[in-house]
Amino acid sequence: MGFRDELEQDTVASLPLRDAIVVQHDTTALNAVKLMREKSLGCAVIVDPGGTPTGLFSEQSLVAMLARDLSLADHPVSDFTDAGLLVVKSSDPVSRVWDAVERDGLRFVFVTDDEGRLIGVTGQRGIAEYLAERFPQQVLVQRLGNTPWMQQREGA
Amino acid sequence: MNGTPPSDPDDFEDPLSNYEPTQYRSELHRVLAEEAIDDMQSTPSAQVTVDTSIRGATKMLSELKVSSLLVVKGDTLVGIFTERDVLEKVAENYVELADQPVGEVMSADPTVVYETDPVGMALAGIAVAGHRHVPVLKVDGTVMGIVSPKRVLRHLSPYLN
Repeated sequence: MGFRDELEQDTVASLPLRDAIVVQHDTTALNAVKLMREKSLGCAVIVDPGGTPTGLFSEQSLVAMLARDLSLADHPVSDFTDAGLLVVKSSDPVSRVWDAVERDGLRFVFVTDDEGRLIGVTGQRGIAEYLAERFPQQVLVQRLGNTPWMQQREGA
Repeated sequence: MNGTPPSDPDDFEDPLSNYEPTQYRSELHRVLAEEAIDDMQSTPSAQVTVDTSIRGATKMLSELKVSSLLVVKGDTLVGIFTERDVLEKVAENYVELADQPVGEVMSADPTVVYETDPVGMALAGIAVAGHRHVPVLKVDGTVMGIVSPKRVLRHLSPYLN
């Protein structure tokens, strides 16, 4: 069985999920930013009154606002939504998230249960962790650092 | 004259004659373990100098539609300035900070990988160290580019089956 088969068989529920930040369309960008900082998460999902995701406010949205010297306190998140909103079910195959990251360059993918209730967010980080866990001898043993390897060597 | 007797070429034994290359369960295992990062896409990457203003760097992130900038002094990488730095260090005080140099808020001494490191090292930088973007350096220490989750997955995709 190839790894592509595993991506088709495993479900999104097997990916690491983080709690999503939920905001309303009229939440100010400043308040969304405060929540994102507090949770150390790069996006907030905008939902309608029924709780259905309708848009995404992301770090990219934030950068776009600041680059135009706009006040975060004076604009709702709905003024600067990110185009990359994807919602999948936890019972969907992992391949949906893989393809979203690899082909579409999405950073975040929102996950609902089978009834459509939002249960979390995954994406680039989630799929990278999933991959690393399946190839521990190739990934988890690596010695990471920020010191040039010439300086790490011991001896003469 | 040293004490090493002249060697007879006929007596030479290749120390690698019994070498057996590592057997991998799949091409994906091999690529992660053996293929070098310089075989995968690490360019283009965007760079700024350490004295670029935060306003200038933020505009560059927006206009280039990239999520990180390598911060350099000459040929040397000194930091990385990312959308996460904008969120966590800049956004709420942007007016006061906008004219400060990006070197004040960049993430200094970032985790890096080298062009000769295996692809698995790039994935470790993302999945284990938790960095969305990992700068790639040449073996002489100069800047080569940057790797991202998208670039890693795109490189691995041909080997999934």
